[in-house]
Amino acid sequence: MKNWFRTLKALVWKDLLQEWRSKDMLTSMLAFAILSLFIFNYAMELDPRQRAELAAGVIWVVIMFSGTLGLNRSFLAEQEQGSFDALVMAVPDVAVIWLAKQISNYLIMLILIVITLPVYSVLYNQNLFVPQFLIELVLGAWGFSAAGTLISSMTVQTRMRDLLLPVLLFPVLMPVNMAVVKAGQGVLSGAGWETYQVWISILLVYGIIMTTISLLVFDYVIRE
Amino acid sequence: MLLENKPLRLLTYFSILLVLLAFLMVIFYAPVELNMGMVQKVFYFHVSAGWLGMLAFLVAAISAIMFLSKNNLLYDHIAASSVEIGLLFTAIATFTGMIWARPIWNTWWTWDPRLTTMTIMAFTYIAYILLRRGIDEPYKKARFGAIYAIIGFISVPITFFSARLMRTIHPIVIGGGSGEMAMTPRMYQTMAASLVAFTLLFVVLLWHRTRLAGAQFLMDQLEAEQTAEEFGEVDNG
Repeated sequence: MKNWFRTLKALVWKDLLQEWRSKDMLTSMLAFAILSLFIFNYAMELDPRQRAELAAGVIWVVIMFSGTLGLNRSFLAEQEQGSFDALVMAVPDVAVIWLAKQISNYLIMLILIVITLPVYSVLYNQNLFVPQFLIELVLGAWGFSAAGTLISSMTVQTRMRDLLLPVLLFPVLMPVNMAVVKAGQGVLSGAGWETYQVWISILLVYGIIMTTISLLVFDYVIRE
Repeated sequence: MLLENKPLRLLTYFSILLVLLAFLMVIFYAPVELNMGMVQKVFYFHVSAGWLGMLAFLVAAISAIMFLSKNNLLYDHIAASSVEIGLLFTAIATFTGMIWARPIWNTWWTWDPRLTTMTIMAFTYIAYILLRRGIDEPYKKARFGAIYAIIGFISVPITFFSARLMRTIHPIVIGGGSGEMAMTPRMYQTMAASLVAFTLLFVVLLWHRTRLAGAQFLMDQLEAEQTAEEFGEVDNG
């Protein structure tokens, strides 16, 4: 078990270091996210009254799309350099490879959220740093990246790769999308906890289910 | 061996007969609904197709789990066939629903949980088929398909639950009062007949399609062997 956690730490560290040195993924994701915020302004003419209600939806769509952009690259290095086999031999249990990738993807999502929210706040003059809002985003991001990490580990091994990821990912993400947007609207419109806590529970349940399934089936993704 | 299958042939004729019978029952036996009129008769096939769409997903998920535990390609053929047929019936359910909805709800579409879920389910099916098309190696194709079928099967009920929750918080504006439809015994009988007929049709189609998938797999293997022989390298792996 100790070995398990040491491997996990090493793998997460490896991914983050790789990202830190190249910054490929994060810079594109951030540029995409901020550009999307600009586009939304013109597409939806976000006037102050609508803005408050739409914020939750706009932010989640932006985060989800730029997250998908990042997920496309999450297993690319392993695939292109053929280091999957080496990884499989090196770890005590293959599920740890999934969990490590999930954690590093998740951390990158969190960085994305932490940067996108203030930018939104500045651009649209709306305070988004409400604890409940952050909680539901953080939970939603876990469900998103859990499903996304598993699916991108498969799509990266197919012929269509990045073309396929959103097509596979978005249908299974429907509950997360609904829950994040609904909970966000509840929080930002100033409603009480009891009106949106059910959505928070859905996010929690979804995250737990996706994590469990991924840990169980990841072995079949990389088996040759 | 692949061509002769007597029970299947008999079952095929029988299912065609049953579907025809159900069709006749819908037209002549079932009464015309008082408020909605003729268009309500689409209901019998609509419900049957919707039921098969879900049944197909269940069959695919179970075969997926069976494949992962047994590593036998037969289960994969069943899962892939079930998804294809399921997609067809989900489409039928959606379109017959639209035909029904237009005159009754005065709209082709409403964001009702069932409509939303069915459509998301159809997209999950399409994604499953696309995923398989992107992979050549049969076992890898089967494994990835199985994993996706399982996550799809689990996420669809959560989608339904979430969509329904959304509607209980916000009242449905259009089509809200469409709920109750009192059914007479004749309606129930017609419904039952068409459910039975369609389910049997599903079994027959699944059987045929699974045989076809098996034959296709055999064919691909033979072709690969022949190519290998022509190029002077024998690869039986």
